[in-house]
Amino acid sequence: MRDDVKTSVLVLLGLLPSLAFGQTPPASPPAAAPPPQPAQAPKGPAPAPATPPAGQAAAAQPPKAPSAAELPAKAPAEKAGQALFDEALQDYFADHKESAARKLYAYIEGTPPTDENHPWAQYFLARCYIDLGLRHAGAVYLARVARERSNPQVLPRTLEALRTLILVPHDEVLIDEQVFGSLDLGFLPDSVSDYANYEQGLVDLRVGNERWANTHFAKLEEGSIEASRAKFALLVTRLRKLEGKDVPDDMVEDFLALSNDEKLTQEARNEARLAVARLRYERKDFEGALKAYDMVQLPSLDPGRATLYLEEAWTRYNLGQLRAAMGLLTTLDAPSFREEFLPDKYILRALVYRDLCHYLPAKRAAKELTRRYAESLESIRERDDLTLDARLRAAASSHGSTKRAARFRDSLTRENELKSRYAGGFGERLFSQTTKIYELAIAEAERVYRQRLQESVREEADKLLRAAEQVRLMEYEVGLKLYERIKRGAKLVQPEKQAPLAEGQEAFRFDGEYWNDELRSYRVSIPSRCIEEGAL
Amino acid sequence: MLLVCLAPLAARAQEELENPGVVLAVQDRTYRMNSELMLAGGVLPLDAFTKGISGQVSYTYHFSDSFAWQIGRFLYSYNVATGLQNQLTRDFGVNPTAFPQTNWIAGSDAMWTPVYGKFAWLNSSVAHFEIYGLLGVSVANQRISSTIAAGTTSTEFLPGANFGIGWRFYMSKSVSFRFEVTDNLLFGTGGIQNIMVVQLGVCFNFGSTE
Repeated sequence: MRDDVKTSVLVLLGLLPSLAFGQTPPASPPAAAPPPQPAQAPKGPAPAPATPPAGQAAAAQPPKAPSAAELPAKAPAEKAGQALFDEALQDYFADHKESAARKLYAYIEGTPPTDENHPWAQYFLARCYIDLGLRHAGAVYLARVARERSNPQVLPRTLEALRTLILVPHDEVLIDEQVFGSLDLGFLPDSVSDYANYEQGLVDLRVGNERWANTHFAKLEEGSIEASRAKFALLVTRLRKLEGKDVPDDMVEDFLALSNDEKLTQEARNEARLAVARLRYERKDFEGALKAYDMVQLPSLDPGRATLYLEEAWTRYNLGQLRAAMGLLTTLDAPSFREEFLPDKYILRALVYRDLCHYLPAKRAAKELTRRYAESLESIRERDDLTLDARLRAAASSHGSTKRAARFRDSLTRENELKSRYAGGFGERLFSQTTKIYELAIAEAERVYRQRLQESVREEADKLLRAAEQVRLMEYEVGLKLYERIKRGAKLVQPEKQAPLAEGQEAFRFDGEYWNDELRSYRVSIPSRCIEEGAL
Repeated sequence: MLLVCLAPLAARAQEELENPGVVLAVQDRTYRMNSELMLAGGVLPLDAFTKGISGQVSYTYHFSDSFAWQIGRFLYSYNVATGLQNQLTRDFGVNPTAFPQTNWIAGSDAMWTPVYGKFAWLNSSVAHFEIYGLLGVSVANQRISSTIAAGTTSTEFLPGANFGIGWRFYMSKSVSFRFEVTDNLLFGTGGIQNIMVVQLGVCFNFGSTE
């Protein structure tokens, strides 16, 4: 009934892309770069002026933000000179980001890409966007600088800025694949070459080319953060290839070594510990699995992850620690986990009650699943569009690549709303360009999200159907037990002695109020009502 | 009537049948005391003629989480005349030395801590506290007037009992705050005196067990 090893692999694989980003909170924008050396005025041919200067255009901006389709067709840009670039930089360093962005965009439009300051203008425009909270638009211009690489001086700053952006929801194709995944590594500064190698290795792993991935990973500096992440990624990929075969000992040891690797983020180390626990579970080493679960470190008062508790509950159940398993199931009823999609929880609770011969509670616990997920089950049976089912959709969007797609789409939506504030400051041309960037990005993000949702919602529906099948089995089993005859002389099994409180322990009786610091501490005292076999 | 009386029992039995078991959150105590040094400041508020501003130092050894022995405590009181005393001396010519006042109190107490709990601070952090009782013996040194007319004074020692209640708020494993209200019952020739002490102290815990 528990998720098998394939599920474990899937869970781990879901982590793979996130390895690149770590789990650190969104970092503040990179520190302001010193102004570049003023360059000579652009020498390329300039288009004929056809629009008023950018400053005048800004003054005439309407307060309401029109969409890109509503905006009039852009007239050819006016030729820009060195003075405009200098003014833009002055505005940038005077913290007048909107004005700086407008002038930088005018400069970009008014100069050819071969202009010496063209990439700097793109870079600073990106910084303006990022500082104004429009991270995706900033990423678009940074990616452009990284791809064009017309000025080697601006490239390291650009890549560093992009590395900061990947800590938050971002366009994985644009940054991970098109920038870091396809950079010419020979020209990269040392500060980003490891990261680029790691990213390119990951891209190779995702398409199933482990040999090429190894080539990239071999170039990583031994002992670097990327080297640790690469080891993890390789282990997860190898685990996927096992497909139900026995897990070799060294793989567990390798995961264990990673779980203590300080260079990995806390989240990644916890994932490694969970991987150890899952592998040991599959190998029926339940005690070892429990030790690995205990190693998972949570920040103070962090409720933790529901899957962690559920897996530990299954492990304890398999060890015969029914009351401890029930304690963890109590944890899973906490408000923090109320929205979690955990059909197994009901099955496990029913199993514990059944094993303690509390048949009515067992039946009721099992039926709780079909009651709680009645609408979803009905949708599955009726072959409705499962993405419209709120519970299944929430479950599918709560992890893995679907979660990342949803977060990116949401962040784009927020930034798109934020963008409207700058309609006046940006001026007509920049605002139109920004609107276009966001409309395209939102449409693509929505498409990617829908695509991933379709796949993952089906997996969740399968999980639910399997659990519903278990409920029927449980009901049948319990029905048989309920009407089982008790033989003469039968007596109840001796009640299990409760472990007394040790020195330095205290007990708080649970009255339905959950405290985060208690979530891993519940102990259930429940008598067995089973008949002693020897008495039959 | 019998049915009405039995109804709660029946309901409880039904609940037990449907949701069997009792759930306890069993945790290791976050804070445990061992050797404690307290520095406290407080007031002796009861005397109508003199208010004492006190400083106290004490050492307590904790045998367990529930029982401890405050091996020694020494309180010094800086006495301030009240408005009433000033009025009596100014308007009615009463000699200032006629008012007895407590100079210091020393003693030793048993400490019993039956309550250990926690509360949520702004729903973002958990803080721990204890409530304890004190019972012990005291000896007080008081300044009394030996000859009122002459204005001479002397000191006397009074034995007594001390009892009180306190609240400990943990800041960390090493530092906690104690707020306590105690009453020293001093047995003198003139009868029993109540010397109440209200004080707030900072406590340093040494050798805490994990």
